[in-house]
Amino acid sequence: MSLIVAEKIEKSYATNAALRGVNIAIEPREWVSITGPSGSGKSTLMNILGGLDLPTAGCVRLNGTDICALSEDGLARFRRETIGYIFQQSHLIPYLSATENVMLCQYFHSIPDEEEAREALRRVGLGHRLDHKPSQLSGGEQQRVCIARALINSPKLLLADEPTGNLDRENTRVVLELLKRMYDEEHFTIVLVTHDPFVAEWAGRVVGMEDGHIVFDRKAGET
Amino acid sequence: MLARLLKRSFANQKKAMAIMVIAVAFGTALAASLLTVSFEISNRVAVELRAFGANISVEPKVEGMAGLAGQTRWLNESDLKKIKTVFWRHNILGFSPVLEAENEVEAAGRRERVTIAGTWHEKKLQLPGEERKFSAGAVSVSPWWDVQGAWPPDDSSVAVGSALAARLGVSTGNAITVSGRRFTVSGILTTGGREDEQVVMELSALQSLAGLQGKISRVLVSALSTPMDDFAYKNPDKMSRAEYEKWYCTAYVTSIAKQVEEVMTGSRARPVWQVAETEGKVLDRLRTAIYLLCAVALAASSIGVATTMITSLLRRVEEIGLMKAMGADSFGIARLFLSEAVIIGLAGGLVGLLASVWISGEIGLRVFGTKLAQRTMLFPLSVTIALVISVTGSLFPIARALRIKPAVVLKGAE
Repeated sequence: MSLIVAEKIEKSYATNAALRGVNIAIEPREWVSITGPSGSGKSTLMNILGGLDLPTAGCVRLNGTDICALSEDGLARFRRETIGYIFQQSHLIPYLSATENVMLCQYFHSIPDEEEAREALRRVGLGHRLDHKPSQLSGGEQQRVCIARALINSPKLLLADEPTGNLDRENTRVVLELLKRMYDEEHFTIVLVTHDPFVAEWAGRVVGMEDGHIVFDRKAGET
Repeated sequence: MLARLLKRSFANQKKAMAIMVIAVAFGTALAASLLTVSFEISNRVAVELRAFGANISVEPKVEGMAGLAGQTRWLNESDLKKIKTVFWRHNILGFSPVLEAENEVEAAGRRERVTIAGTWHEKKLQLPGEERKFSAGAVSVSPWWDVQGAWPPDDSSVAVGSALAARLGVSTGNAITVSGRRFTVSGILTTGGREDEQVVMELSALQSLAGLQGKISRVLVSALSTPMDDFAYKNPDKMSRAEYEKWYCTAYVTSIAKQVEEVMTGSRARPVWQVAETEGKVLDRLRTAIYLLCAVALAASSIGVATTMITSLLRRVEEIGLMKAMGADSFGIARLFLSEAVIIGLAGGLVGLLASVWISGEIGLRVFGTKLAQRTMLFPLSVTIALVISVTGSLFPIARALRIKPAVVLKGAE
């Protein structure tokens, strides 16, 4: 059974349509890149697939649940049980340490465990930055904290919106290698939005978008 | 984790938090001080208003054939001490017995039939179980009475009302004959009331003159009372048992009158409505003004908290969006902000409490000339007021926080 099934997804804002009847199914343990130019609707699609936003029309079934039928609080509970997020801006809470930022995600999910949070940071190579505030970390290190935070509750689905958008090539490679290692070890599903072909090709499947439509859907490496 | 989150959040927004604590402390101090004044004002103003005279009049009950026949009834002087044994005895500030009799007076060749009043000027009563003597008599219920000369020092002297003295042409030191017996005028009495037309003497003197030993016509009682409300006006005969107990145990002038009536044999005690209602109205208006000022102080402080919290929230929209994305539901977000509000309320309440002790002390000194009593209930009251301010002030910001859409505030460049 597919992990995500989205049918005839439409999303309109006041004057323009961001998504125009998108259909997509994503299998468990797939790594899917959604790529396309700015304004193509890829982030909107990711937000809808992850229950951060609701479509104007169509429905999304995630792990067998029609997320469009959930209340706002029901959706929040569903997100914390099922999904981990990584954003382009790290969105770390500035007055909390790296460990505390990871623990915050545990707090909203179940019970914070400081040692588990520290171990998660060690796994992403930040054993020496456990008590540092976000402002004391480099961009790459901040994204690694975000990866640790996103995966601390063992989600079925990891949604990453331009996770390397603010990083240089070297840091991009470090973050992607880390993601790949975690993906291989933990067997979750990744949906990664990027406009960078280099990043997109790390996936097993690449979906291209333009003007609110899917214009191609292929295996990575194919042209 | 919540405690750690709150600690870090407070440390990160010291200035905003300090402003909110000050706003809460200000509102709490003002409201708690005014409420302290309002608690005390009843006693203080009621004591002040007692200077306007007795608020209960006790007269012999006239009923049945005796009433129809116009037969005169008396109260017993020996029952007077019992007035200080009623349930609300500590609220009885004074009482004064009066015996009245019509008699012919003659002075300086002029004759007139007038009312002779016998009363106590000031009588110290030793009451059972009381260390200090209780001061009863005219001075306790009619302190404005003015005697030019002296109050009758013995049973052979009288005071003559100023209007009557003018008509009879008598002054201090003159002789006056009452019912054929000669008295010395020790003073001229001015009360602004019917006593100005009377000859006033000590109670025992009139009892002896009229042959009514141990008898009195009426008693004027001055009692501290609670302002009359709708419940106080209900007919006690038609009350349920629970209502009657509540009425009886509240210091309404009507319930105190009822209690006095119970201990004075053959009496009927009634409130002097002009006095009782005026007192009630004055206190009600003062209290209403104080409560309105409290409400304004609470509203102003809550608005201060809400404004600062909204400003703080606008800086934290990304943080709230992130928490929602991580799965924080409405309860989780509301709990965080309400916890902040409660901490601000407790801190502001403590500061406000200390400030209110000082403010109410100053008000007491400047308005009443003495420090107002600080009640133990002021502590929980201040904390409650502070929590009401901070929680009320946080409701609107929390409602705004709950409406934040994570997809909007966490939006990256597409």
